[in-house]
Amino acid sequence: MLTFAFRKLLTLVGTMIGIAALTFLITNVAPGDPARLVAGPNATEDMVATIRTEYGLDKSLPEQFIVYMGELVRGDLGTSIVTTRPVLEEVMRYAPATLELVFVAMFLGIVIGVPLGMLSAVYKDGPLDQVTRIFSISGVAIPAFWFGILLQLMFSVDLEWLPVSGRLPLVTRPPEFVTGLLLVDSLIAGNFSTFWVSLQHIILPAIVLSFPCLASILRVNRAEMIEVLQSDYIVAARAHGISSFRIVALYALKNAMLPTLAMIGLRFGWMLGSTVLVETVFDWPGIGLYAVSSALSSDFKPVVGVTLMIGFFFIVANTLVDLAYAWIDPRLRKA
Amino acid sequence: MFGKIIRNIAIAGLLASSVLATPAGAFERTDKGNVIVFGGRQAIPVLDPHIRYDWSTRMMQQAVYDGLVKYEGDPAVIKPWLAEKWETSEDGKTWTFHLVKNAKFHNGDPVNAEAIRYSFERGLKLNKGVAWMLKDFLAPEGISVVDDYTVKFELKAPYTPFLSFLPWWYIVNPAQVKAHEVDGDYGQKWLTDNEAGSGPFKLGRWEPNVLYEAEAVADYWKGWPQGDANRPAGVIYKIIREPAAQKAALQRGEADIVEGLTPDDYVQIARAKGIAIEDHKGMTTFGIKFNTQQGPTADINLRKAIAYAMDYDALIQVYNGAASLETSPIPDAMKGHIDVPGIPRQDLAKAKEYLAKSGYPNGGITLPYVHVAGLEEARRIGLVLLDSLKPLNINVEIKPEQWPNMVANGSKVETSPSMTSVYTTPVSTDPDAVAYQYHKNSWGQYFAMMFYDNPKVTEMIDKARSSSNWDERAKLYADIQTQIVADQPEVFGMLQNRRWARRDYLQGFQFSPVRFTGEVDIYPLWVKAE
Repeated sequence: MLTFAFRKLLTLVGTMIGIAALTFLITNVAPGDPARLVAGPNATEDMVATIRTEYGLDKSLPEQFIVYMGELVRGDLGTSIVTTRPVLEEVMRYAPATLELVFVAMFLGIVIGVPLGMLSAVYKDGPLDQVTRIFSISGVAIPAFWFGILLQLMFSVDLEWLPVSGRLPLVTRPPEFVTGLLLVDSLIAGNFSTFWVSLQHIILPAIVLSFPCLASILRVNRAEMIEVLQSDYIVAARAHGISSFRIVALYALKNAMLPTLAMIGLRFGWMLGSTVLVETVFDWPGIGLYAVSSALSSDFKPVVGVTLMIGFFFIVANTLVDLAYAWIDPRLRKA
Repeated sequence: MFGKIIRNIAIAGLLASSVLATPAGAFERTDKGNVIVFGGRQAIPVLDPHIRYDWSTRMMQQAVYDGLVKYEGDPAVIKPWLAEKWETSEDGKTWTFHLVKNAKFHNGDPVNAEAIRYSFERGLKLNKGVAWMLKDFLAPEGISVVDDYTVKFELKAPYTPFLSFLPWWYIVNPAQVKAHEVDGDYGQKWLTDNEAGSGPFKLGRWEPNVLYEAEAVADYWKGWPQGDANRPAGVIYKIIREPAAQKAALQRGEADIVEGLTPDDYVQIARAKGIAIEDHKGMTTFGIKFNTQQGPTADINLRKAIAYAMDYDALIQVYNGAASLETSPIPDAMKGHIDVPGIPRQDLAKAKEYLAKSGYPNGGITLPYVHVAGLEEARRIGLVLLDSLKPLNINVEIKPEQWPNMVANGSKVETSPSMTSVYTTPVSTDPDAVAYQYHKNSWGQYFAMMFYDNPKVTEMIDKARSSSNWDERAKLYADIQTQIVADQPEVFGMLQNRRWARRDYLQGFQFSPVRFTGEVDIYPLWVKAE
């Protein structure tokens, strides 16, 4: 197991270097002049040059790349030309909001998707299966921004049940920083009113973000369950008179969970990337929103920083899934 | 810790079950009074008044800082602020400002002549943001302290628009800035999200990409126009990026005023109870800029043909009527504006006449029309252009482009597209602010991507900006406007109205056309509570 984990760690480092190099090159060869943009519409050439020099943009691209990789090795993600702040500081500021959203969305996806997938398989082609089929197709097909606006109109404007956007009401001060996750920090602080309002704020964006993930988990789990439920050992279990609930929930689900776990790992990374749209619609101050506003301003270093961050979490999530695989299926440990 | 969390979750669940829904809010009420919420689409990354000045940034800068003078009203006039009076030498090179004696910074330090000198020196030496407005005419050595409350500016050459830029040069407290200097950075790092001003508000919470809060200064040296009893406790600028979310926030009372609705949204929401629309004629011009140096649009007859083929009424319809046609390159609200006789309006016969004289008498060409990606109105104007040019057998390729790329392409004559949609907001009410866009020195800027070159116009612009005789200047600007229209470097489009939607209890809104798109002076606002 230790060798397995070490191999994964090496892959992580290599992949991160690859992501950094590729993203840096892609963002820097894209057209656009960030220095001119930041200098303002009326800035003279020498004003633009002042900014270029300050941020090292007057150097050639290979020189900039070497400097950037050197900084990266020292744990420095550079400075944002738009906000003039260190990228690492900003990524760390925005990451908890995104992670909180992704965790809640993933939680919804799993606790709803897995049981629904299981039930759809058990009652295959029944009314429940048909309903979940429509549900899962909608989940994949409906664009997130449209679904988000629809929920805002229904639950915020018409029914007035939930807030339109943001993480907290305007006059509510965030709880003392421990994890950056408001739901957790407010509970640690024993501040239940803040917990409640932050829960109200996260419901709609989390539903929007979880919908496609939920749909995928549901379909994969259903397909796998159908296959497992037809296998010999399940038939044998039934012949022994074991209760249907025990067969489905204990014997079948464990084996059906392997592909579902893979899907969860993939979806975690996908969700981190998808927060871009959801965070924009709900003004959720996470790394997705930070990446979009930076990209639109040709502010490249934050884009690279966010990509690295997402890449890191994606790899970590998939490594954890691989480890879980190995735990569930001992044959994989030897592979 | 986990036991504690789980126990707390259970208690929170019980509490939650007792509250079914969040009631719709209104303005935020705090212990100190009412807090007005402004919903704006863009962030304020850097507050330093000498580094950045886009509309959202300037709105907050105006709240926490003061200038020597301030623009107010419609039409915009320059009013004394930190300077109670000023005089100019006969040659127009020396400007002397006399300061009010009761102004103080938020930390209690007096606003004196040294603070003025330091602030201008800082702006010029940093060579960023607002520096371009004065750097060609004012050197740091040209600013001197006459006495504690008198400061003198000696310009390198006469520059009449000098005063018109001063409202945007905000005064910082030298003591606070110097105390936070790092490696001689003039306090740039610190002023990014701190302030050292004397304005009616001081900075409250600063949560990047979420909200920015300004807290009212109870004993603001200039007093409060709405009266102490009515002044708000503060203002929160909340970032709400999507128009649909802005509309929803306004309807729910989560925002008291918003700036970024779509033209259709304004029409719809105007009918809602408790909502009022501020609709004012602005100074932001819209033009379809031609590349006058290269490609088919270098041909003046083709440019004229396009200008006469354009359906101008449809331009107004794109904004549901909330716009007016340009009658000159210089907007109506600006001093020196004239209605240029014969400015093109749709006339297909004339359009065909000019086309026949051009190098493309039968059309048969495709011209790109570039607009900012995501700007729906600009895209729809592209469709109007496409329809308008069909009778000339000219095809239009509508190309959305990200703003940074558009600016980069427009900075070189070789890459500037044949037609680009550009909105331009002048930064002052002096006609030079617009006229100089047609000066050769402006080439490379986004508003000069037509690479217009008429030596006669350039000479007149130079002469007008150095003259201190308004009658002479007025005559020159009239000639400049007429000549530019005759040369047709762009399709002169329309002036889009500035609009905000607000709750009707929000009072004191004062429009001034010289402010940037979306920018509101929050100083006079107040809440009329039932």
